[in-house]
Amino acid sequence: MRIVAVDPTSCVACRNCEYACAFKQTGDFDTKASNIRVNFYPEERVCIPWTCVHCGEGWCMEICPAGAILRNPETGAVEIDAKRCAGCKMCLLACPTGSIHFDKVELVSKKCDLCGGDPSCVKFCTSGALQFVEEDEAYSFRRESLDAKLIRLFGLTKRGS
Amino acid sequence: MHLVVIGNGAAGLSALNRFRAIDTDSQLTLISAESGTAYSRVLLPYYLRRKIPYENLFIRRPEDYEKLGVRPEFGMRVSRVHPETHSLTLEDGRSIGFDRLLIATGSRPFLPPVEGLAGTNVCHLWTLRDTEQLDTLFQPGRRALVLGSGFIALQAAWAAQQRDLNVTVYELLPRIMPTILDERGAALLQQRVEEHGVEVRTAIHTERVDRSKTGVLTVHAKNHPPLEVDLIIVGAGVRPNIEFLAGSPIRTDRGILIDEYMQTNVPGIYAAGDVARGPTSFGETHQTHALWPTAVEHGKIAGENLTGRHVPYQGSLNMNVTEMFGITVASMGKFIEERGHSSHPVENGPSHYLKIVLREGVPVGAVALGGAEDAVILGRLRPWVRNRRRLPDVEGFLKGRYLLPRQVA
Repeated sequence: MRIVAVDPTSCVACRNCEYACAFKQTGDFDTKASNIRVNFYPEERVCIPWTCVHCGEGWCMEICPAGAILRNPETGAVEIDAKRCAGCKMCLLACPTGSIHFDKVELVSKKCDLCGGDPSCVKFCTSGALQFVEEDEAYSFRRESLDAKLIRLFGLTKRGS
Repeated sequence: MHLVVIGNGAAGLSALNRFRAIDTDSQLTLISAESGTAYSRVLLPYYLRRKIPYENLFIRRPEDYEKLGVRPEFGMRVSRVHPETHSLTLEDGRSIGFDRLLIATGSRPFLPPVEGLAGTNVCHLWTLRDTEQLDTLFQPGRRALVLGSGFIALQAAWAAQQRDLNVTVYELLPRIMPTILDERGAALLQQRVEEHGVEVRTAIHTERVDRSKTGVLTVHAKNHPPLEVDLIIVGAGVRPNIEFLAGSPIRTDRGILIDEYMQTNVPGIYAAGDVARGPTSFGETHQTHALWPTAVEHGKIAGENLTGRHVPYQGSLNMNVTEMFGITVASMGKFIEERGHSSHPVENGPSHYLKIVLREGVPVGAVALGGAEDAVILGRLRPWVRNRRRLPDVEGFLKGRYLLPRQVA
């Protein structure tokens, strides 16, 4: 499946992705509604947009006590059915990357659904930092210098090392 | 191969799903004491306070069992397990053979030893039937006493308050939510509960309940004036459903003892969920959580190993989250400081409190009272607790740094 991949070296922190996501959902530009969030790390001079990576075995999906989180068979996206969501917040506690948010008006959880296979955030990304690519390509445009920064920032290590 | 699963709850369903994802040939039988397709226990209070419609309680349709190739036996109890002959006796006298067995019979609420407590208008909030009964008892203006102040008890109290009942909570211990919150969190939540007009009495020992001819219940507590109510909701904890194992060689001790493969001491017989006592993230070998996430994980590992694989479980991490009295309440792991622990509390006014507990820089648990974003923080913290990773900088973490610890990345 294809996911929204991030190349932080290209991100210019314009937050167009947040505006695009919020607008797609609400018809308004209040970025609080956005499912993609640009995180700023001024000391490292890095900004990283982050959204759901639609995990293979999504813990949110397995744990949902309402059976409201299902994989879309066409796009592969892990989606929340707002009509079934009870608002118990167990998925918020289950997601290790903080990619599920809570809709304070509807009182249900919400997350990236890849806009049905044509993600708005990617479409309106001004710098090419966001790309809609096959999962295995998602990590290919990380570069050595960036990797070093990420390791410092998150305590990350490269896959397999 | 014929796999029999006893129990149609979180653990049983999770096991069936996992098993079928790997093994598409074996014969599957599900035996459930409850009469219909699976419903979600977690959602019962959400229905009672009308957050969700009745039909959303059900998380499986009859065709879902068919699709999974499971033959269900609803409304049927198992009266004996015979490991030596690989068979079960059902309450109607029939015998069913199995090659492998999963016991996921769950738990049921406990009625504290209070004289005269058992009887009409005294309910739990545990099963669908309890919920339907409470639904008819929840008439505006009625007086309800909630005995206990755990997760379910307080959710019942909130539902009753939302349905315009006059609600009182009695807790035996000196503070509310003794297993979910630390002292500070409990004090803040109690204040919140009281602001909603619910009276909370802690350190109160309920001794006797008298019934009048008109149905009024008079509750007598030590050193406390009698309280007249129309109904009592009991939320004083649960006990595992293991009675049918009496006399069998399956080892129990306040639950079925299982190893890291979810197997009991009898090869081929596994247990999962509230009925099972398995390993935890903190290295305990046999612990009961009686929590939905633990049941789902148990079931998943059991389902995998029942196919013949040999996958160990990394151990359960207790976690809780809910909305009550308009505030998000969540906790995880060890959230009460023990010797050698340090803590990082953040408090902003009466409706926001977050505390991370660490041991030598490794987070071991957290507790939060506030908004949904606090549950998100606990979610991000979970892999660090589970993988026992040192968090370089708590302040930074709270600001969104340190996306994932090394092992998960």
